[in-house]
Amino acid sequence: MLRASLRSSRAFGYKPSVASAGRQWHAIQAGRVGSGSVRGYADEKKPSIADSRAPVLPGSASTSTSEPLPPGRVAPTPVTPATPTPGNTIPNVPLTPPPPPSSTASVPPPAPTPAPKPKKRRFFRRFFTTIFLLSTLGFAGGVYYSRVNDNFHDFFTEYVPFGEDAVLYFEEREFRKRFPRIADRQGSRPRDTGASVNIPSQSGVSWKVAESSKPDAGRHANAMKPDAPKPKEAIQNPTETKQEDKVKAVEIVKKADTPAPSKPTVPAGKSPEPVPQAKPHHPVTAEPVKASGQSPVPFVAPEVDQPSKFPPEVTMIDPINIKDADEPVVQDLVKMLNDIITAVNADNANQKYSSTIGKAKGDLTKVGSKIKALKAAILKEADAKIKAEKEDFDRAAKELIRRVEAEMQHQQSEWQEEYQTERQKIVQNYEQKLKAEIEKANEVNEQRLRNGLLEQAIEMKKKFIQDVKDKVEEERNSRLGKLSDLSNTVNELEKLTTDWNSVVDANLKTQHLHVAVEAVRANLEKIEVPRPFVRELAALKEIASDDPVVNAAIASINPTAYQRGIPSSAQLIDRFRRVATEVRKASLLPEEAGVASHASSYLLSKLLFKKKGLATGDDVESILTRTETFLEEGDLDNAAREMNGLQGWAKTLSRDWLGEVRKVLEVQQALDVIATEARLQSLRVE
Amino acid sequence: MPETTIPPPPLAARPTKPVSEALLNEKWDRCLSSLLIRSSLGLSFGVVFSVLLFKRRAWPAFVGLGFGAGRAYEECNGSFLREGRKEGVRTVRP
Repeated sequence: MLRASLRSSRAFGYKPSVASAGRQWHAIQAGRVGSGSVRGYADEKKPSIADSRAPVLPGSASTSTSEPLPPGRVAPTPVTPATPTPGNTIPNVPLTPPPPPSSTASVPPPAPTPAPKPKKRRFFRRFFTTIFLLSTLGFAGGVYYSRVNDNFHDFFTEYVPFGEDAVLYFEEREFRKRFPRIADRQGSRPRDTGASVNIPSQSGVSWKVAESSKPDAGRHANAMKPDAPKPKEAIQNPTETKQEDKVKAVEIVKKADTPAPSKPTVPAGKSPEPVPQAKPHHPVTAEPVKASGQSPVPFVAPEVDQPSKFPPEVTMIDPINIKDADEPVVQDLVKMLNDIITAVNADNANQKYSSTIGKAKGDLTKVGSKIKALKAAILKEADAKIKAEKEDFDRAAKELIRRVEAEMQHQQSEWQEEYQTERQKIVQNYEQKLKAEIEKANEVNEQRLRNGLLEQAIEMKKKFIQDVKDKVEEERNSRLGKLSDLSNTVNELEKLTTDWNSVVDANLKTQHLHVAVEAVRANLEKIEVPRPFVRELAALKEIASDDPVVNAAIASINPTAYQRGIPSSAQLIDRFRRVATEVRKASLLPEEAGVASHASSYLLSKLLFKKKGLATGDDVESILTRTETFLEEGDLDNAAREMNGLQGWAKTLSRDWLGEVRKVLEVQQALDVIATEARLQSLRVE
Repeated sequence: MPETTIPPPPLAARPTKPVSEALLNEKWDRCLSSLLIRSSLGLSFGVVFSVLLFKRRAWPAFVGLGFGAGRAYEECNGSFLREGRKEGVRTVRP
């Protein structure tokens, strides 16, 4: 119903305004196409239905606008022949949904396609640039953080490609910055970064015998220090090459420049001289091999023979030398001569120099003999000197021995004298000591004897005194006995008095007990409001310190009684009246009473007559009257007994009152017991 | 702040057990209050029902009143019967 009414009302006034609003909306929307939410009204008739004009997109309708068509699926205007050009519309054409060419709609229209393309490209470009930037940033961050964190360093170097290189590079840079000296030292040799090192096939030890010609290319290039390859080779050569080669080399050197003071040595006495010799003539090293090849052919044969010929000549000279070999000078001379001979031999000019050499040999032998003679003379002189020296030393030694012996004898005599004096001193000492001992022993003996005498005197005196005492005692005994009797009687009297004292004490104690009990009783009777009487009870207990009866009596009292106090008899009676009215209300109840019976009992109990005095009977009313009379008489015990006889609801209602009466009775009983105990004690004493 | 000796707060007065002579009266009080409450509740329900369903007739209200009163009476009766024997005795549950 409500809905219907609403609809009707809307039908009246609402629609036109809504329609107009809708139109307005459209007008506004023409300005901002695709702004988002377009409000639609369900009950609005679409203008297109009323209008015969074809639906025109806001931008496309007006000629003035130059706005492009909105992207997306749009009615494909250019395709259909019937669609109007933007200027004029065909009014009478029935509006139809976009005809068959709509198939083109499925195909993405040509216009929008170019638009996304640049976007896509741009997107890819942007995407890659962002990825690149991010990755570089991440890598840089990783490198930095790996420098900071050790764990991350491990991770980064292990899993990120090129991470290790980057981290190492940065680490080395920092290292260099920190220790420039060490870094420079290492700088010449790059850090071992695992780069492969090529070891040429020729290097290292091999079974091949090294050839001198080949190393030119390989070994020289691979030498550790490229600036000094020659000396090495020069050193190497003499070891490996044969003696003959050496000789040859020397020859060639000599050919190259004769003035050079060359000294080809005997193979035993290898000297470092060849090194400097070879140095200046760089090409020479290479030459020897070539030279061997180049050397004139007629020359080769004799060269090979010559050493076999010449050595005997050289060795023939040597024996001469050996005789004088003791002197180094002669040796040197011999060496020189040998060199010259070898040189001469090499030159093949034996005939020329043989005479001179022979002369030189003679001279040499002469020099040797001269030196020998000199030596002999010097030896003789030295022998003579040594003999003189020896004699001198012998003499000195003898004198020394003599002196030492004299001294020894002197010392011996001195020691003997000292010994004698010492011995005499010791003997005297001992004699003195002996005398002193003897005197002391005599004195002790005399003292002992005197002591014995004194003891005897003392004993004598004692005996005398005893005798005198005995005699005096005998005379006195008769009087002293009487005195002791007197003292005995006095003691007995004292005992009697002490006994009486204990009796008096006990009496006092019982009196105290009486007083305390009376105090408690008075306190209980006087009070009008229940009040705790713990202090009084404690005092009572203290007075009757170890009386078992009193202790038991106090223990029998309910603790709540003396902690909270007990009501007086007046209060008890007052409360009993209140209880009695309540009990009377419930006096007529049957067993298993419900609400109705309770109500009836409450009502009917008001009609009951009241009894008085000691009524007979077991009904509630008579019990109550009897209790009241007992209470008025002051007989609490009987009253409690009567109330205890009640049953059912009456008993539950009166339970609290009964409990109080019982407490009072307990206290009274305990006090009675204590009082009788006190009386009993006072009786017992007498 | 100076040290002031604050007296210990008085022990919260526990709801002490009612004195035995007041047991019955208390029961009656409870019964009457429950009777009042329940009967008024029943009456109100009856009135509502009569307005909604029964064309504003009177009897549903009375019926509701009767229901409420009857329920109160039943409860009261039960309490009297149950408690009559062991009133004021606290049974400790195992």
